[in-house]
Amino acid sequence: MTQQGPRNGLLIAAPAAALFVLLVLPGFIRDEYYLHVLVGILFFAYMASAWNIVCGYTGQLSLGHSALCGIGGYISTLLFINAGLSPWIGMWIGAVCATGAGVLVGWPCFRLRGPYFALTTIAFAEILRIWIDNTEEIFGIELRGAQGLSVPLKGHAPALFQFDGKVPYYYVILAMLVGVMAVTWWMERSRMGFYLKAIRGDQDAAEALGVNSTRYLLSAMALSSFLTALGGSFYAQFFRYINPERNMGLDLSIELALMGIVGGQGTVLGPVLGAFLLTPAGEITRATLGGKFPGLHLVIYGLVLIVAMLFLPKGLIQPFRRLLRRAPARSGASKPTTT
Amino acid sequence: MPLLEVKDISKSFGGLQAVRGLSFAVEPGEILGLIGPNGAGKTTAFNMIAGYFPPDTGEVRFKGENIAGLRAWDISHRKVARTFQLSKPFGDLTVLENVMVGGFHHQGSRAAARGKAEEVLAFVGISPLAMVEANNLTVVDRKRLELARCLATEPELLLLDEVVAGATPTEAVAMMEVIRRIRDTGVTIIMVEHVMRVVMGLSHRVLVLHHGETIAIGDPQAVSRDPVVLKAYLGARYGNA
Repeated sequence: MTQQGPRNGLLIAAPAAALFVLLVLPGFIRDEYYLHVLVGILFFAYMASAWNIVCGYTGQLSLGHSALCGIGGYISTLLFINAGLSPWIGMWIGAVCATGAGVLVGWPCFRLRGPYFALTTIAFAEILRIWIDNTEEIFGIELRGAQGLSVPLKGHAPALFQFDGKVPYYYVILAMLVGVMAVTWWMERSRMGFYLKAIRGDQDAAEALGVNSTRYLLSAMALSSFLTALGGSFYAQFFRYINPERNMGLDLSIELALMGIVGGQGTVLGPVLGAFLLTPAGEITRATLGGKFPGLHLVIYGLVLIVAMLFLPKGLIQPFRRLLRRAPARSGASKPTTT
Repeated sequence: MPLLEVKDISKSFGGLQAVRGLSFAVEPGEILGLIGPNGAGKTTAFNMIAGYFPPDTGEVRFKGENIAGLRAWDISHRKVARTFQLSKPFGDLTVLENVMVGGFHHQGSRAAARGKAEEVLAFVGISPLAMVEANNLTVVDRKRLELARCLATEPELLLLDEVVAGATPTEAVAMMEVIRRIRDTGVTIIMVEHVMRVVMGLSHRVLVLHHGETIAIGDPQAVSRDPVVLKAYLGARYGNA
């Protein structure tokens, strides 16, 4: 297909260039604060991409993904504190548990049509948060309630997911982001991706074409939950501290959903774009306005969402996609009569 | 053995008896026309055969197996496909991608699904629309897309729910031609249709539903002269024509 040549070239070249920039970037940053912000951006890009796998592709809205993040963070941290298990291993156990939780939440909801999934995810995340907020210990394991847990400091111990400085964390989360994007890209082009988009388009019609909607929705939820929990473990290690409010609060869920929606759900690059725009915006508004007007950054988030929905309902990625689509269309359309 | 055998199926919604004791059989390679006034229970019958809801009573036997009560996707995997009266395109996908969803039914690989989709688009005659987003299609092209999606699943039994509705006479003739060619490939068809010229021109047999019950079944010409049918549905105008 000659028609796809230039488009494919651009599709490969642009992300490759972006990845190269991200790979060499830490070498040019002297200020730890900027590196910290950058890790935050990559973290949110990763989390929004994980959210996107179920919400973007199937059109089901989850506002409870923070709970999955919290499950990942708490389980890897608790295993480290109580059993001395390296978070490198604990994060996979957390991810498996989160997958189970995600499937349990999705299972009854995906049989129904309507807003039940969104409502149930909120309820699930809030119940979990409030429970941990008020639980000092369970079965002799300290949860320390709202105080949260600190990850014991071991110095520079790569085998225990602890590093000197922020650069190693930067590369870990960058690798995770590339991983989640690769999974999304692969999924989008596979049978599963087509089926998920069909379910989003019209569930009845999808089922008529042999799509077992319950099974595919649950598969997407399981994959998304697994990846989200891995992110939660990273978060715990990076900050060396977790608490219910920050790790499984509704704010985090809403932020992930916002990044996905504003950036462009159901695309590989959309949520990443959303995170790269909204995370620094949030950081700046918090830093400059947070002292005087606490909560104002949330108001600004709300306004951004309204504007995005009004003018770019398919997300900020839409103009870029149109540009990419036009390139081959123009070369193909040069033969017929176009003025 | 008939390909599909519907035995005494009934369905009521609250106090409304939508279908009452419906029985019929379809032979392989046949086109059966299903007609009746609005609300006669035609689409309800389709929904029961295709697994959108189970019949209250009775059996639906496809190749001898009772499929009543199975889920829609399971029935689709037994090679029964349906279109919807109100087209349900996957709006933000292109026509090609829409049909590829059906194409993935038998082929796991993207290239194979795409190959199947392109073949079906050419068969239905909408290849030039392949890259158009389904949202931007006309009503008639949406019907063609529905049909193409179904064919991509390689059905043995095809349930067509008013695929000609909304078409101009020329478009209707083109659609009839497509349906004939589908039958020629060996696919058995049950079609619900209001456009009499189409039903009478295509069907080997016609079944007339009225208030959820069969009032006539048989040769199109005989059915169209049946006084009970004329009274219930076709009206004096068709009788005179």
